[in-house]
Amino acid sequence: MTHSIPTSLRLCGLALLLAGCATPQNNYDPIEPVNRGVFTFNRAIDRTVLRPVAQTYADYVPGPVKGGTSNFFSNVDDLFGSVAALFQGKFKEAGTSAGRVVVNTTFGMFGLFDWGTRMGLDKGNADFGQTLGHWGVGSGPYLMVPFFGPLTLRDTADPLVRLTWGPIDYIDPLAGQIAYYGVYVVDARSRLLPLDAMLDSQIDPYAYMRDAYLQARWNKVYDGQPPHQLQLGEGDDEDAAPDASGVAAEAADHAPGSSVPAAASVPASTPDASTP
Amino acid sequence: MKKWIASLVIALLPVLALAAAEPEQIVRGVSNDVLAILKQNDKDPVKVREQVDARVSPLADYPRMTSLAVGKYWRQATPEQQQALAKEFRTMLVRTYMSALTIYKNAEVDVKGTRPGADSGEQTVRTEVSIPGQKPIPLDFYFEKVGNNWKVFDIAVDGISFTVNNRNQFGTVIRKDGIDGLIKTLSDRNAKLAGNGKQGG
Repeated sequence: MTHSIPTSLRLCGLALLLAGCATPQNNYDPIEPVNRGVFTFNRAIDRTVLRPVAQTYADYVPGPVKGGTSNFFSNVDDLFGSVAALFQGKFKEAGTSAGRVVVNTTFGMFGLFDWGTRMGLDKGNADFGQTLGHWGVGSGPYLMVPFFGPLTLRDTADPLVRLTWGPIDYIDPLAGQIAYYGVYVVDARSRLLPLDAMLDSQIDPYAYMRDAYLQARWNKVYDGQPPHQLQLGEGDDEDAAPDASGVAAEAADHAPGSSVPAAASVPASTPDASTP
Repeated sequence: MKKWIASLVIALLPVLALAAAEPEQIVRGVSNDVLAILKQNDKDPVKVREQVDARVSPLADYPRMTSLAVGKYWRQATPEQQQALAKEFRTMLVRTYMSALTIYKNAEVDVKGTRPGADSGEQTVRTEVSIPGQKPIPLDFYFEKVGNNWKVFDIAVDGISFTVNNRNQFGTVIRKDGIDGLIKTLSDRNAKLAGNGKQGG
């Protein structure tokens, strides 16, 4: 699993090199031909191995076991989510997520049971790509990462942080590490099974997944209140709102000196002068 | 006298409700009705689709939705082509999404508020759909005023817009096969989905 970091880093470098050859249609996907190749590869792996395993897991593993597994990984997620929220100055969400970790790790038996939600501590959704976006970092080029899925250059921060500081260091034998991530991947994939039919029936599943991912990330960086819809493809108006590259343009508008999380005084939902 | 005033107020209530059919009220009304349909027919996706479509369609501005999905090529299309595109896009939305609604029969829809749209004739109603034990999913309805009525011209799930998300794949087909090519692609695809629906139902 330690291979993953150099792979993603190499991909990032590649993306930067090729960032110059963007077409006006989608300057957010400068390495589209490479990405499409990886997408085809990922889909082949998914069809032959991952999806059947996830389907079997969903069909035959008893509900309480699946629930406990999801809760366990959700608890690890809350730990990182708390830190990611803290770095955005979202102290309430950071506190709630930290509270969930404390409750669920102790009373919830290392996260197998989610007592936090029952105590009114709602699950947050912060991640480190969102943290960077909150402070004005643009999404950068879209990447389809082998064995992983869609990311943007900025959002690689999240899996990199989670891999580097994840509980993997405390699992000793390699077999244990493989088992940990194996179960993680199957659990995550099984929850995406209901979306398969929709993606498979698209004219261009690659573009559909990319555009859905970019819009969802744009929405998340602004906590569900973006200044405008992320415009992708060729819109009707020549002077329409900026597309994903506008994220980078907006990043430039943010004051560069505000690197210290100065409380929650900079709400991410505040639009900059982004509309023409 | 008091009784008389009370009965007058009650008599006027429907009128008040009509006058106050602002986007938020529309969303509340429609989501209650749709959830009721889902609970009644949770074993019959075809019936769900038909009844939900009948309830929702009067509120939807399908031509504008289609124009947003087709993007800049919409203006190059003849009125006949536009009509055909809107018809196929509508069928696609209904078939793709409304049959899948049955998993939401136990869902709750919370209206979170309204925010102003691009101009005074537009409003966006923000809601969250929650299923017990799962993270709530943000669902936004984009309304525009058409005459005296509010109509929906876009819907976004978790920030993913039905219209924007189709623009790139539609544009690719149009650049390759023209607008008629897209009409044909969509109608073929709809026919195929209809076939699958018959097998499944």
